[in-house]
Amino acid sequence: MPVIEVNLEDLRELLGKKVTTEELRDRLPMMGTSWEGETEEGFNLEVFPNRPDLLSIEGLARAYATFTGLEKGLRRYDVKDVGYRVIVEKKVEGVRPWFVTAVVKNVEFDDPLIRSIIQMQEKLHVTHGRRRRKVAIGLHNLEPVEFPVTYTTKPPDFKFRPLGERFEKNLTQILTEMHTGREYAWTVEGFEEYPMILDSKGMVLSMPPIINGEYTRIDEVTRDLFIDVTGTDLKAITEVLNIIVTTFADRGATVYAVENHYHDGSVLKTPDLRHKTMALDIDYVNGTLGMEYTPDEAAGLLARMGHDAEAGETLTVNYPCYRTDIMHPMDLVEDVAIAYGYDKFVPEIPEIATEAGEDPLEVFSRGLRNFLVGFGFQEVVTFMMTNPDKLFHRMALPVEPITETSNPKMEGYTCLRNRLIPGLMEVLASNKHHSYPQNVYEVDDVVLLDPSTETGARSERRLAVALCHARANFSEVKAVLNSILENLAVEAEIEEGGLDCFIEGRRFVAKAGGEPLCWAGEVKPEALEAWELEMPVAALEMNVEKLLELISS
Amino acid sequence: MNPEDAAARLHENERKVLLALEGRGAATTQELSAETGLARDAVEKASAWAETKGVVSFREEVSRSFNLTEEGRKYAEEGLPEKKLLELVASGRNEISALKEEFPSLNIALVWVRRNSWATIETGRLTLTEEGLAAKDEETVDDALLSSLKRTSIDNPDEDSMARLDQFVRRNLVGEFETVTRWVEITEAGRGLIPAVKRVKETRIITQITPEILQNGSWKGARFQEYDVTLPVPSLHPGKRHFISSIIDYIRRFWVELGFKEMTGDYLELSFWNFDALFQPQDHPARDLADTFYLKTPYKGRLPEGEIVDNVRRTHENGWTTGSTGWQYKWDPEVSARNCLRTHTTSLSVKQIAKLTPDDLPGKFFSVGRVFRNETIDWNHLAEFYQTDGIVIGEGVTFRDMQGYLKAYLEGLGLKQFRFRPGFFPYTEMSMEAEVWIEERGEWMELFGAGMFRPEVVKPLIGVDVPVLAWGPGFDRLIMQSYGVDSIRQLYGNDLGLLRKARLWME
Repeated sequence: MPVIEVNLEDLRELLGKKVTTEELRDRLPMMGTSWEGETEEGFNLEVFPNRPDLLSIEGLARAYATFTGLEKGLRRYDVKDVGYRVIVEKKVEGVRPWFVTAVVKNVEFDDPLIRSIIQMQEKLHVTHGRRRRKVAIGLHNLEPVEFPVTYTTKPPDFKFRPLGERFEKNLTQILTEMHTGREYAWTVEGFEEYPMILDSKGMVLSMPPIINGEYTRIDEVTRDLFIDVTGTDLKAITEVLNIIVTTFADRGATVYAVENHYHDGSVLKTPDLRHKTMALDIDYVNGTLGMEYTPDEAAGLLARMGHDAEAGETLTVNYPCYRTDIMHPMDLVEDVAIAYGYDKFVPEIPEIATEAGEDPLEVFSRGLRNFLVGFGFQEVVTFMMTNPDKLFHRMALPVEPITETSNPKMEGYTCLRNRLIPGLMEVLASNKHHSYPQNVYEVDDVVLLDPSTETGARSERRLAVALCHARANFSEVKAVLNSILENLAVEAEIEEGGLDCFIEGRRFVAKAGGEPLCWAGEVKPEALEAWELEMPVAALEMNVEKLLELISS
Repeated sequence: MNPEDAAARLHENERKVLLALEGRGAATTQELSAETGLARDAVEKASAWAETKGVVSFREEVSRSFNLTEEGRKYAEEGLPEKKLLELVASGRNEISALKEEFPSLNIALVWVRRNSWATIETGRLTLTEEGLAAKDEETVDDALLSSLKRTSIDNPDEDSMARLDQFVRRNLVGEFETVTRWVEITEAGRGLIPAVKRVKETRIITQITPEILQNGSWKGARFQEYDVTLPVPSLHPGKRHFISSIIDYIRRFWVELGFKEMTGDYLELSFWNFDALFQPQDHPARDLADTFYLKTPYKGRLPEGEIVDNVRRTHENGWTTGSTGWQYKWDPEVSARNCLRTHTTSLSVKQIAKLTPDDLPGKFFSVGRVFRNETIDWNHLAEFYQTDGIVIGEGVTFRDMQGYLKAYLEGLGLKQFRFRPGFFPYTEMSMEAEVWIEERGEWMELFGAGMFRPEVVKPLIGVDVPVLAWGPGFDRLIMQSYGVDSIRQLYGNDLGLLRKARLWME
């Protein structure tokens, strides 16, 4: 989740109040953010992905002002219209189809605002923008731009002077030679032509979502801006435009509309900063939260979250255009709860009679775990994720088909275990400095391929024991198995053979009803050597589900 | 303590040592071993104990002794190579190139012949000096030392012989050994105990009670060896449950006592159950390869039959009949069929809801199980860890009820100072974080998330909009806190030292 740096002085100025760090530390988490600690100039704050409007200090101040009662209700924004026009050509359809724009004027571009805007732009690109693919924002100096602006595509040999460069470069050079080009080339990979924003003189404003043109560079004397947002999702880019524009408006800028003329004749006039409306039943609020608010109380609480609500059995809630997370009346219920304070609800446990119980396999497994303690064995809990080296090569076992992940970050964790014994061997190998005997066991799941299931794999509960000390041998491990079976009144036939990790002639499979129940034997010295163990090991592994089946029948 | 008791408290071996020391000054442990018939280390151990009781004093003396090495012994037999060279040259064989052939130790011999100024070399020939001629026929200091070493080792040499020995040590002809001699001397207090010790010797003392002693009744009239009961004994390593597994049992019992029924399920999951059914859009960052393990084998699975998949699709695309706007994109069944390792046990909760009909309500369910995250492992992150999920589904359950269950859970884990604050999860609304106050750090620590499933999650699964309370606590941090383990890797490290010492979870 994104973390923003907040300058305390900026925030105080925007709020018009000398709030203290202590107050913010206490209240901001209750508003729905995470406090990430103080910094030299203020503090760091984690913003939840559903509230991109809080990614700027202006947005944060706006929300905090109503939350703490400094302000109340919906903040309204005016949009002027002087006939700015842009054209969206058909060529962009298969590349990067959506384009919305706005103009803001009289921007006081002082340091705090620039800091805040750059931070918000970066964070929006990462989160909402899915690293610029879904949404990318461009800010331009309005002054040189001649309308109408055109959003189109250009071939790779098209040239312009990218921001911060002294000479023109063609589009291929930008994508392969420039740092930002290489970083974002993946967003336009495979296209024959690349998206391009030009003004009516043919000068380049931007090659979205890669880089702006030098032509519309913003500097300290810039007062008026042209803003573009391009992307693959109209809803997302409209939301982002609204969030940016309202941030400027909060700093006193004047907002102007632009008509975006699409190739199919449709016209989108942006930004649309009008509030939206949703109906909210007071019974729904109270039923969900377990409260008894009156409609007036609920409206008051909604006002603390920046909404205007007309009270009634059904509240009519006007919510701001930048609240992109409101998809369902439940989202407004949450706002009521946050405004009231999560820490003020009185917790209660309802009396709901339901049938309780543990899974029978878990009950059985617990019984086995406790029984094995009686042998003096130490229970261990090992990872399910492992790798073929541990499962097969070090065990002197042939490789078998298993579940494997496609994108592991660590070499040690590439697949799921199909057997418990290798995990026990790893435990023994890492405990050579401790005293012997080291007799360990584990009762847990392995994962096996099984085409008959929904995913093609299933888990199976197993029990494994490894005996490791100077005299560990076949008879001892066989005696352990006998004792388990006797105490569960289960009978099994012992047959020579089984797993290749055991010495031939000192291994067996115990079968019940013709199916294998348990594999056991003395571990081969090859395997001991591979694990760098200088102590004999005798081990067994059994199918707990099969065992449960046998005692239940 | 009176002398009788003090004497009785001595170990049999200590008494033997004491008696052996009677009427003499210091004795070495070697001598005492011969006198008492005890092994030397038994004498040493007994003397050390006796010293702690103040009846003897015990000191060590380290002495150096020098012995011939294998090479040294060879020269002691055959003579030093430099002496041999003198003889060869004297017999006329003075050409170095010729000597190389017949005399293998020539190089060593040359070094010492030149160092002793026994010969000069000119145009490849050796000529003996006067000293050389003299040395040829007489026994030099080196020869004398060598033959003396051949007979016996040299102990604690004086400074002069040390200088000579040093040369031999450097030539690797002599090795240095340290011998430790331990001297034991009876103290005044010890002497005072002698009569009592003698009397004890006359009574029979029993150390280990054996079946024979009990059978033949010989214990009657005997005295039992008294022990120093404060002395340490070896520790035992009994069989034990792993503390994580004990805590999981406890959590399971906790939910059952609150009336919850257990849900279990597989670790491999369709993306459909892990993400889509939880209303996470298909381009949601949490679905990234960076956080989720996807499977190479088996790559994908089969989406369930019936209307649920279609309900989920429509809810993603336009909200379906849930009252939501949906995510407004084209939902892709292929993305949904991709297998992954479950990133939360919440997948079990949605599968459980999908199995229910409105007639089965209300219901309370829990699960405990491992979940997987594609993390780079460090002290703070693991690729797999445990989670416990709970849901309560039924008309009329509320946000306050959720706080009630979680308060009970936190109190059940022994936590006193905790709070609830707003959180965020894509599939819950209200979303909530439970935090616990960490006194040492002076700050709140996030423990786990909870919330009420969004209508967009619930309705596609069961067909009606009914409130569902849901939570998914991990508990690794709490175990770490409780067991004073500061790295999560250590928690799952299965270090037998740690497991053998870990206190039992008794709840």
